[in-house]
Order: sequence, then C-alpha cells, then structure tokens
Amino acid sequence: MTTPTTTPTPSAALPVPPTATRPPRRPRLSPAAPARTKGPRLAAGLALVLVGLAFLVPLAWILLSSVNPAATVSTSWPGEPTLENYREVLTPELTFRPLLNSLVVSGATAVIVVVVATLSAYPLSRYRMRFNRAFLHTILFGSCLPITAVMVPVYALFVTLGLLDSVPGTVLFLSATALPMAVWMTKNFMDSVPVSLEEAAWVDGASSMQALWRVVVPLMRPGMAVVFIFVFTQAWGNFFVPFVLLLDPAKQPAAVSIYTFFGTNGAVAYGQLAAFSVLYSLPVLVLYLVVQRLGGGSFALAGSVKG
Amino acid sequence: MQRTRPAALGAVALSLGIVLAGCGSGSSSGSGDTNTITVAYQRTAQFTQLDSVLKKAASEYEAANPGKKVKLTAIEAEQDQYFTKLALMNRSPSTAPDVIYEDSFQVRSDAAAGYLAPIDEQLAGWSDWSQFDDVAKQAGLGDDKKTYGVSMGTDTRALFYNKDIFAKAGLPTDWKPKTWDDVLSAARTIKQKAPGVTPINVYAGKAAGEATSMQGFEMLLYGTDSTLYDDSTQKWVTGSPGFKDSLSFYQTIFGEKLAPALDVALDATVGSRVATEMLPRGELAIALDGSWLPGQWIEGDNAWKGWEDTIGFAPMPTQNGQAPGSVSMSGGWLLSVGANAKDKNAAFDFIKVALNRDNSLKYDTENSQIAVRKDVASDEKYLSYNPSFEFFSSLVPTTHFRPATPDYSQISGNIQVAAESVATGSSTPDEAAKAYDEGLVGIVGQDKVQGG
Amino acid sequence: MGIFLVGPIGYALYGSLTNAALSGYRAVAPEFVGFDNYTQLFTSSQFWESVWLTLVFVVGSALIGQNVLGMALALLVRNGPKRLGPVVSSLVVTAWVLPEIVAAFTLYAFFATDGTLNEMLGWVGLDGPTWLITVPLLTVVLANVWRGTAFSMMVYSAALAEVPPDLTEAAEIDGAGWWQRFIRITLPMVRRAIATNMMLTTLQTLGVFTLIWVMTGGGPGTQSSTLPILAFQQAFKFAQVGYGTAIATVTLLVGALFAVVYVKVLKPEVDS
Repeated sequence: MTTPTTTPTPSAALPVPPTATRPPRRPRLSPAAPARTKGPRLAAGLALVLVGLAFLVPLAWILLSSVNPAATVSTSWPGEPTLENYREVLTPELTFRPLLNSLVVSGATAVIVVVVATLSAYPLSRYRMRFNRAFLHTILFGSCLPITAVMVPVYALFVTLGLLDSVPGTVLFLSATALPMAVWMTKNFMDSVPVSLEEAAWVDGASSMQALWRVVVPLMRPGMAVVFIFVFTQAWGNFFVPFVLLLDPAKQPAAVSIYTFFGTNGAVAYGQLAAFSVLYSLPVLVLYLVVQRLGGGSFALAGSVKG
Repeated sequence: MQRTRPAALGAVALSLGIVLAGCGSGSSSGSGDTNTITVAYQRTAQFTQLDSVLKKAASEYEAANPGKKVKLTAIEAEQDQYFTKLALMNRSPSTAPDVIYEDSFQVRSDAAAGYLAPIDEQLAGWSDWSQFDDVAKQAGLGDDKKTYGVSMGTDTRALFYNKDIFAKAGLPTDWKPKTWDDVLSAARTIKQKAPGVTPINVYAGKAAGEATSMQGFEMLLYGTDSTLYDDSTQKWVTGSPGFKDSLSFYQTIFGEKLAPALDVALDATVGSRVATEMLPRGELAIALDGSWLPGQWIEGDNAWKGWEDTIGFAPMPTQNGQAPGSVSMSGGWLLSVGANAKDKNAAFDFIKVALNRDNSLKYDTENSQIAVRKDVASDEKYLSYNPSFEFFSSLVPTTHFRPATPDYSQISGNIQVAAESVATGSSTPDEAAKAYDEGLVGIVGQDKVQGG
Repeated sequence: MGIFLVGPIGYALYGSLTNAALSGYRAVAPEFVGFDNYTQLFTSSQFWESVWLTLVFVVGSALIGQNVLGMALALLVRNGPKRLGPVVSSLVVTAWVLPEIVAAFTLYAFFATDGTLNEMLGWVGLDGPTWLITVPLLTVVLANVWRGTAFSMMVYSAALAEVPPDLTEAAEIDGAGWWQRFIRITLPMVRRAIATNMMLTTLQTLGVFTLIWVMTGGGPGTQSSTLPILAFQQAFKFAQVGYGTAIATVTLLVGALFAVVYVKVLKPEVDS
C-alpha cells in the first residue's frame, strides 16, 4: 500500500468518535419511549437519585468543610460559613508555589504530548503501511500498561540517568506515559478529517508536513484541544510520579504538597485540606467544562478508546 | 509517504532535542555549587525545634563566612516517610544533601551505602569534640570505626501516666510498676473505672515506623531475658521466647481493648496525636513514649500549661521484675556530612556552628533532649528548663542501644510488620515471630542468625 | 520518548535479578543474584496474598463495580427523566476528573470511623463498622468504583448512541419487555465496547496506587496491600529495591498478559 487512501471504517472496526467537527447530538429518544408507562421511568428516576446522592455526598464534604472553621471527617453544615480556611492556605508556600509547579509540569507535558502525538498519528492515520497494524497494537498495548507498577524501576533508572529531582525529567516521563493514549485519540480524530482536502494540497505541490500543518491541524484543533486537556488533567492529578521523582519541596506540585496537610499535623487540618483541595481541583474541573463546550469531549474520549 | 516518515521523525527528534537540552538546566537540591551548603532535615507541625535551631545556625554561619550560603531543605514528613525521602535523595549524587539529619540507627547503614563522609580529620581539629561524652561519640561510628556524624543529643524512654485519671480510677498517683503485669492490671483498672479513656498506648503500626520498633516493641523485648542481636557472636537471634512474649503483650492490650482503636493506632499521625491531643486532653492514661515529649508542652504551638502537675513518669519495668528492674532504649540523632558534598570542610563547619555550645543548649532544652555535651549537661539553664530532665537522665544507666549494624533498618521494618499483624489480630504471636524469622534470614542470611 | 517507556521495563527486568537495596552495603554494590528474588517471591505467602487481593480488587471494582454501574448509568441517563440524567452524570464525571489524591482524601474522610458514612448510618440507628480497619479491601473497592465509574459510563454512553433505535423499536412492537430488549439486542450490539472497556478498566485498576496508599496504606497488616503497594513498600520502606522491582516486573507481566489477550480478542475485527 503506497497510495494514500481513506481509512475505511467498517462499523465493527474502529467507530469514528463524534468530534467537534460533528458535535454529537443525543440521539432522540424513540417516539415510543415517552408513551411508556410511568413505572419504569419512575424507577429509573429513583435509581438515578440514589446513585447521584452516593456521588454527591463525598463531594459535598469537600465543599462544606472548606468553609467550615471546625471541619472534621464528617460532613456537617457549617454553623457560620467562613473563608478563614482559604485565607490560611492562600500563602506562597502552601498553595501558590505548588500550583505553579503543577502548572509547569502539566502544561509542559501536555504541549510535548500533543505535538508528538500529532506527528506520530499523521502517518498512522493516513497511510496503511505494513508496520501500521503492529504499531497500532503496540500503542494500544502501551496505553494499557499500569505505569504505577514500574515506578520502582523508573526510580532506579532516574538515579542512573541523574534525572532525579529534575522537573524536565519528570515531564519527559509523564509525557512518555501519556503518549500512547494520546496517539490513539489523535489518530481517531484525524481519521475523521477527510483526506480529499489534503489531496488537493498535494496537487498544489505541498509536502506532507505542509499538508498536515495547513490543512489537517486547523480542522483538528478542537480534537487537539481535547487531547491537550486530557493529558493536562492526567498530569495535574498525578500523585505517584512526582512523589517518587521530585524530592525538593520547592519543586513539588500540588498533588504531593497536599500530603503535608495530612501527614504532619497532629490534628489534621481538615478545613484547610478541603480548602486546598477545592483550589487544586478547580482548574481541571473548569477544563473539563471547556471540553464539554468543545463538543462532547467525554464522548470523544469514550469513542477514541473503543479500540 | 517516503517523504513523510523522515520528516515526521526528524521533527520528533528535534522537539525531543529541545526538551533534553532543557534538562541540563534543572538545578537540583544537591547542586554542584560549592558555595551553597544544602541541609536536609525533618520538620513537622509538632517538630519545629530543629527547624528553628538550624535557621539560627544558618544565619550565624552565613554571617561568619561571607559568600557562602546555606540552603535548608525541610522535609515535611512523619519519621517513616522522612527516611524514605532521605534514602531517595541520597541514592543519587545529584540530589544528595551536603548535611544530613540522621537517626543514629541509620548511620551505619548509610555509611556502608557510601552516603556519608567520614569526618575524623575535621573532628581532630575541633576543640569542642572533647566536650562530647563517649556514648555520643559511639553513636557516630560506622562499621569501619570511622566517625560519620556528630550527635545532637540522646533520649530515653519510659511510661508517662496521667495522675488525674489514676486518681479517678483509685490508682496510686506515684505509680511504680514492677512487672509487665503491674502495667496491664493498671490498664485494666482504668478500663473499668474510667470509661471513655484509652488505658494505654504502645506503638504498634507500620505507619508509625521506628516508633513502633523502639518505643514499642524493643522497650518490651529488652526487658525480657532475650535480645534482638547477640553482640558477642554478632548474630541475630531467632525464635526467642522474649520475642514471642513481647508480641503477646501486644496481643493482650489490643485483644482486651486496652489500646487505642486500630484506626488511630495504625495511622501515621498516631505519634503526634498522643503528644498533642490524647495526653493533654486526658483521653489516654498511660503512654510508653520518649523523653522528648515534654519539650513541646513547655512552649510553642502545643504548649500545655500545668502539664507537670498532670503527667507522672515511671520507668518501664522488666517483664517479671528481673534485674535491673527497669528498661529503657536510647537513640538520638546526628548531623552528618554527605558523601557527595562538594566542599566537605564547609559542610562540617556548618555542623560546628549548629552544634556549638549555644545552639546545642537551645536544641537540647527546647526539644527536651538528654544533652551529650558535658558543658551543656552541667549548665544551670539546661538543668532548670525542664522538670522531667532529672527523671529521664536517671534512666541512662539501664538503657539499651539498638543493634549497630547496617541491616538494622531493614530488620526494624520487619519488627513493625510483626507488631502490626499481632495488634490487628491477623497473626498469633507465634505466627508473627515465625514470619519475622523468615524475613530475617532473607535479609542477613542463614549464617548470621542463631536460635534464641 | 522510547527510553522512558522501554527503559524502565528493561531496567525492571535487570533490577529484579539483583539484590540492590536503598541503604547498607548492597546499595553501593548490588550483586547479581539471578532468580533469587523470584524464588523468594513465589515462596512468600505474602506475595500470594497480595496477588489474591489484587485479583479481588480488580474483579470487584473494575469488572463488576465500574462496568455494571457504568452500564446501568448509561442506560438510566438515556432512558430516565430528562433533566436528572445530565446532573447525575456530571457528578459521576466530577469524581473522575478530581485529582486522584483529592479523591483519595475525600473518600478517606467519607469512610473514616467518625466519617460521613457512619454518621448517616447513625441516623437510621445503625452502628457502622470501622470501615478502613475491619473491611479494608471492600472499602477500597467501593472507593475505586466511586472514582472510576465515569470512564465506563462514558464509553457505554457512546456505544449505546450507536445502536440504531429502529431495532429496539421493532422489538418493542413485537412485545419484548425492556430486559429482553436489552439482553437480546442492545448487549450484542455493544459487545465490542464491553470487551474493550473491561480490558481498559482492568489494566487501569491493576495500577491503582494512590487511592489505597492514602486510604489504608495497604493495611491493616497487609489486608489491602495490592501488588503496586507491596512493590512500593518493599522497595522504599524495607529498602529492598531488587525485591520490589521483582514484584513490579510480575505486575507488569500480568498487565502484559491481559493486554495480549485483549489484542488477540480484537484482532479479527481490526483486520477486517
């Protein structure tokens, strides 16, 4: 196969994820649905409420404790809501520096991954080469391996390479672990960009790289944003990797510095812990909303992991 | 297609190159800067005394040595986590600190690992060294008989008890238990007469780390006729009756609910909670703990007015009252020079400042350490600072030290596992002792053990 | 990049054949000990206990918990009350988007002895157990279901959206009940998504560390020490880096085995 062809997507093979270029519409409920008896619908509603509560209650603890001056491990309505906990934690050492560290680590990781994933996904998406299938399987395989399992040897490797306690080293490792999934997602997004547009560019004498840059990337921006946010969120929330690889408290991201609220206070400052958690979680929650705006990001993610 | 691949790969390589080039600039805590001394030490919310003395020493050192800088790297972690972090830092020359706050039991192990630098030459030129007592000098010795650290102070361990609770339970307020059974029966009386109070705390969890080995298990074991390590044959002891009896003590206090609830006992913060919450609030009647506790009650965030009227002290009795009647364990911490320090003399100069007479006095009083400098130990300021010094110093003649071998730290981990498994009821003392023996042989080899 | 993916794996294989330690003599000069670590591993009851715990954790929280609840939620959101669905799915996704350490602390507080759950049980007159101590494994399984269900829910929502509605409608006209319709029509249509998702959740769950580490520390004793926790403790708490690496290697092989099976299962369809 040396001529570029569009990737056929047999319905059983790789379903194309709904992407931003085609925002997924919730398929309309079948007309028969509303006409059904009220019973099942009520049961479904009740079940949803129950599940919703199971998820809401632990989340409510964070929010309520963060404004409760006397917070404990149990959820209670704060007698007098106060922002005292936030005032306590909003210091450079407790919050700003760790959050900045997180931003640097996650941002750098996401940028590297998006660039490399786009470049790697392009040939995968556009050329049905011999190595393609094997490569795809390898990528799939790579995205599946539980990376936490190799943290012990990774630590030993970093000692040997002299990369311990180095932010760039940590970024590289996080990038490497996020890459397979990102390539996979990017490839799926790329498959949905019609190849005919590029063919037009080639006729005009553009090289593949130019075609990628001028034609494919602009069409894929929302998809790339989804990948970026996905990787950023993963890195932002990762605790174990920086916990093992970054030792200097001045370099540690929020994920690790939060541990000090817990481990070193005789009386755990739950209120402060909760306030810090809110501050630390907000950015990724906002990003998630952005993905929703970009067009059903969750479905895009789900679609892109469908194998 | 043929055009694409090299191009794409080239771009990947290029972007990697840019990133890798950035790696070189990543400065690390063990920086190659010869004018900066990095100091790694422990700081927690309840342990700030070291932080304050090192800050003072750092500014004094910088004032005396223009152009030199001291970078204090406080590791915010409970003890067990602190050891882990320190080991992780020491493993790599690029992150290894120049000056290290070391627990005495880690010195031999870390010296053997090549993490510490011998300081005999520098000590020879330090007039203050003659002020340190022999026990303190021993504490810094490595397997090769070279010195690898300067002792900051030592400690002993004993029973703390709450006189108010004792009075309420009809127990004597000048309590003098003679055997383990005396301790247990007092705890049982408290359980009956003072409901809602935890009768006794003996550290039992892995999360409490060395506290479980030393304040807990070894305070029991060294009061039996058995031992952990036979100094004369230089072999570790397996299957000793004392080992199982010590575990049985745990089985008793946890089985009869005389000890804290497991969720407290197995938590990493249990040490802090005993010192800052349970004892001051009268929630705990008896605590087997270390001589440094009163330091934080005298002043600081956890000051407790009138603690000396509430808390009584009693030596930990031997199992059946056998001679010498009581038992204590001693440890202590040192400041060591890292093997990878660029300027070892400068690092040692900082230690000289941090442990000169003034700073040793400050640290030993505030952190209620038993002074190891003769000039501090006889200083009126020191003697009058803390009413508990007299009692804890009186335990020195009957105190024991942990086996000074490089593999102690690993074996200590196995002791914690044994104690926790008995405390949780998942093993009997016999099973836990057997598991300990297996682990021991795995660590030191069959030729380094002997039956007890 | 490759060095960071292949490097650790190669390193794992080599490191697990030495007796490297974090401190002491073997930190300077680790010796090559061949398969000693593995012999020690396979004869250690703790290792097999850990394998068993890992298995229960993965099957309980991923294969059963996240998949069943994820599918149920996907169906409920599709067919339940219009406004409620999005609200509930947002909550579920929030639990998944939260940084893992925040989720872990939140659940620790929820299950703590005086935590929210026991408080709520108290309202109805029940005396809740010390969750983290008496049933540590069940607690972390529940916690991981809470944390990870969103992923399955999203995969299944996307899969259900691909099922042509006229099929189920036809069945309904034929008088099939909703359960029959689900079993006979919907399930076969989304079976690939199920296979894929089961595999992915299995592998993700195999590597869960932070959640367990924060909530129980692998304890009490070793009652919730899954393989990643065991490897970490052996390497960094007991300073047996070589031994810890051997455990990590075994975990990796288990993951690889799953992945190979997965690729094999999907292969015929990928080749189409």
